Amino acid sequence: MSFFSEDKASELKEIFFESAQELLQTLNEEALALEKNPADAETVRSVRRTVHTLKGDSAACGYRELSELAHELEDVLTPELAQSAQNARIPEVVLAAADTFQSMLAAYRNNLQPPSGDALRQHVRKLTSAPAAPEQARLAPTFAWSEYEQVVIAHSLDKGNNIFHVALQIDRDCPMRAAAMQMIRNVVGDFGTVLAIHPEDNTPAEQIDVVEMAIASKHDEQWIAKKSHIPAVIKDVVVVRAGGAAETAPAKTVLEIADTLTQPVLTAVPAPAESKDEPAEKTASKSVVSENSLRVDADRIDDVLNLVGELIIGKSMLLQTMSEFDKRFAKDPLRGKFADAMAFQARVLTDLQKSVMKIRMVPVEQLFRRVPRVIRDVAKSAGKEVALQISGQDTDLDKSILDTLAEPLTHLVRNAVDHGLEAPQERVALGKPAAGTIRLNAFHQGNQVVIEVGDDGRGIDRAKVVAKAIERGIVTADEAGRMSEGEQFALIFNPGLSTAAQVTEVSGRGVGMDVVKTVLDRLKGSIIILSKVGEGTTFQLKVPLTLAIIKALLFRVADKLYAVPLGSVLEITRARESEIHRVDNHEVVQLRDQVLTLVRVAKLSKRKASPGKQLFIVIIAIGDRKFGLVVDRLIGEEELVIKALDDHLVATELVSGASILGDGTVVLILNVQAVVGRVGREGAKGAHA
Amino acid sequence: MEQFAALLRSKDKQPVRYLVVDDSVFARKNITKMIETFGGQVAGEAGDGCTAITEYDRTRPDVVLMDITMPQMEGIEAAERIVRNHPEARVIMVSSVGYQENIVTALQKGARHFVQKPVKPEVLYEVIKYVLGEDAVAAAGAAAGEKQ
Repeated sequence: MSFFSEDKASELKEIFFESAQELLQTLNEEALALEKNPADAETVRSVRRTVHTLKGDSAACGYRELSELAHELEDVLTPELAQSAQNARIPEVVLAAADTFQSMLAAYRNNLQPPSGDALRQHVRKLTSAPAAPEQARLAPTFAWSEYEQVVIAHSLDKGNNIFHVALQIDRDCPMRAAAMQMIRNVVGDFGTVLAIHPEDNTPAEQIDVVEMAIASKHDEQWIAKKSHIPAVIKDVVVVRAGGAAETAPAKTVLEIADTLTQPVLTAVPAPAESKDEPAEKTASKSVVSENSLRVDADRIDDVLNLVGELIIGKSMLLQTMSEFDKRFAKDPLRGKFADAMAFQARVLTDLQKSVMKIRMVPVEQLFRRVPRVIRDVAKSAGKEVALQISGQDTDLDKSILDTLAEPLTHLVRNAVDHGLEAPQERVALGKPAAGTIRLNAFHQGNQVVIEVGDDGRGIDRAKVVAKAIERGIVTADEAGRMSEGEQFALIFNPGLSTAAQVTEVSGRGVGMDVVKTVLDRLKGSIIILSKVGEGTTFQLKVPLTLAIIKALLFRVADKLYAVPLGSVLEITRARESEIHRVDNHEVVQLRDQVLTLVRVAKLSKRKASPGKQLFIVIIAIGDRKFGLVVDRLIGEEELVIKALDDHLVATELVSGASILGDGTVVLILNVQAVVGRVGREGAKGAHA
Repeated sequence: MEQFAALLRSKDKQPVRYLVVDDSVFARKNITKMIETFGGQVAGEAGDGCTAITEYDRTRPDVVLMDITMPQMEGIEAAERIVRNHPEARVIMVSSVGYQENIVTALQKGARHFVQKPVKPEVLYEVIKYVLGEDAVAAAGAAAGEKQ
C-alpha cells in the first residue's frame, strides 16, 4: 500500500492495534453478557457491530486474513440467530473468535504470518447450518390502551373526531431502525393527532417491531393505510376505525379487531396529502451524539509531561536566583514585581502539571474489565463456581502503571480462582456457599492507589509456607522465627518457593508469584498478603499514583544529597550515637515501645560516616515493616521530577532515579526496597563471617 | 433489469424531474440509470451540498436524491436548507447503514424519506412513488421509451 507514507501508515497501524485491543475487550464482555442471556438480540447486534468495526479497520490496514474472518463472523451474527435454537453456541464462538483475533493481531504486530483461522471458521459455519429462521410473524395488534389512554380516546370521540387504531409492523430486514422510527413519526404526524402510542418514545428503536397507536384524523382509513405503507420500512399495516360517536369502548379484543379489518388497498389516486412541518419535533433530541474525546499516543503526553518537568526545574532555578537577587538588592522596587510574576507563574505551572497528570489518569475500570473473562475461563476449566464483586472501579491511576499492572492482576485472579477457592462440594461441606467470591477493589490512599484482589477461599497456611521455606534453605528456622506474619506470607514471593508444585497444593498459591513481586518493585509499589486459613486471602497491591513526579524528602549523607519518596516516610526522629545498639549484626534503636532496625546510608555508599554526635533517623515503611534510615542532615521536602537513569551509567539497584534541583545539584532518589534488602543481606553475611 | 411503470407528474403527465446529489460520479451515474428506467428525467446533478442548493433553485425538480456524506456541505445541511427555502421540496436521503444517526437528523429536518446504499432499484421506485404520492401517476404499460 503506497496510499500513505511509511510514517503515516505505521502510525495508523499503531492506532489500529490499540483500538483493536479495545474492540476485543468489548467482544469479550459482550460474549459474557450473551452467555447469561443468549436470546438477547440486542447484544448479538452489538457483537456484530464490534466485529464489523474490526473487519473494516483491519481491512484498511491491509490485514486481509483477519478482515475476512471477521467478515464471516459478522455475516453469521444476525438477530435471528439469537432467537434460533443455535443461540446457546454463540458466546462460545464469539469468545473463540476474540482469542483467534487476538493471536492474529499479535502476529501482525510482530510482522509474522498470522495463525490460521480455519478452526474458528468451522465453528462459525456450524452456527449457520441451523435451519433458517421462520417467517416474521403476521401482524396481530392488541390495541391494549391503558385506562388513561382510553379516557383520552373516548374524550376525543365525544368531540366528534374520527379515531383510528393503527398498527405498523416494521420490516425486519430494515437495517436502520432508528431512521425507520423517525420516518414513522414523520408520517404519523401527517395523519393527525396521536392520542396514544405504544411502545413509548424512549424505547430503543432496535427493539421495536410493532408500533400501535390511536390517532384522531380527518383522513379516511384508506388514506391512512396507504400512507402507512412506507416502502422499505413497514411490512404490514392494520388500520381500524374506532366507530362513530356511538361507540365508546375502543379496546376490543384482538380477534374481533382482526376480523373486522379489511386489507388496505393501494390505489393510484388517494386523498390529497397535506404536509405539516411541526410533527416529530418533540422526539428530536436524542439523535445527535457528539464525539468529544480523542485518542492520543501516550508518548506525546509523556513528552508534554517531560517538558512540564523541565519547567519545574526552571521554576526552582528562578526561585534560587530570586533569593540571591533579594539578598543583593534588598531595596530594589523590582523585587515586588518579580515576586508577583513568580507567584503567578508557579500557580499556573502547578495547574499545568495537574492537568497533564490528569490526562494520563484512567479509571481502574480499564484494568478490571479484563477480569470477568479470566475468571470465566479459569472457573470453567477448574470446575469452580465464582461470583465477582467489583468496587472502586472509578479510581484513577496513571495509564502506564495501569498497563503494567494488568499482568500481575490477571495472575492473582487466576490463582485466586484456581487455587484459592475450594471446589463447590468442598465449600458446601465447609458450610460456605457453593459459589466462591472474588473481590476486586481499588481506592486512593494518600499518594498511592491500593488495588485489592480477595477471595473467600481456603486461605494460605502460613506454617506450611514457613516449613517449606526452611526445608528449601531459603530461610533458617531461626530467621523465620523472628519474622513478622507479613514477612512470613511474603515468603511465597520467593522464586525458590513459589515455583514448587507441592507448595502450590499446600498453600493454594501457584507459580509466578515472584513475577508479581518483581513488577510491583519496578513500579515502586508494594504487595501485602492478608490471609486467614479457611476464610480467604486478600492481596493488597499498592502503587504510586504516578511515576513521573514525586514529593520527596531530601537529606544529606556525607555531603551527598539523597531523596526518598515522601509517601514512604512515616516520621522523622533524632537519636545520639550512644543510643544505637547492635543486635544480631543489625543496628537498632529504641523508638517509643518498638525496636527499629537501622540502615546507614553512609555505609551503602562506602563513605565514612561523619563523626556525628546527633543523628537524624528517617523512618520509612515498606509494606508493613518499618526501618530507620540514618542520615546526617535533613534538607526538606521538594517536588522532584524523576529522570530515569541509564542502566549503563549507574550500576546499582539502590538508586531508582535522579533529579535536578533548581541550583543544578543532582539528587539521587533511593530505591527504599533495595536499600533495606541490601542491609538485610549484608547483615546476614556479617553473621556468617 | 426490472420493468417499472413510468411515473409521470399528475398535473401535466410529464416525466418526473430529479436532482441527483452525490460526490461520487459513479453513484450519480448509477442513480441516473435507475431514474431513467422509472421514466424520469434528471434535471440536474450536484457533487456537493452547496451546488445542490443552487441547482435546486435553478431546476426546481420534483424529487431530490441526496447523499449524506459529501465535501463542503453535508447532505443533511443541504437538505435542511432546501426544505427551509422550499417547504414543498421532496428530499430523499441516500446513505449507507453507518450513517443512521444522520438520516434521523435529516428526517427531523424535513427530508421525506431515506434509501439505503447500495440502492436497490425496486426499493427506490417504491420510495419515490410513496414520496410523490398523489402528485404522480404510474403510466399504464412499460415506461415510455425504455428498452430492457
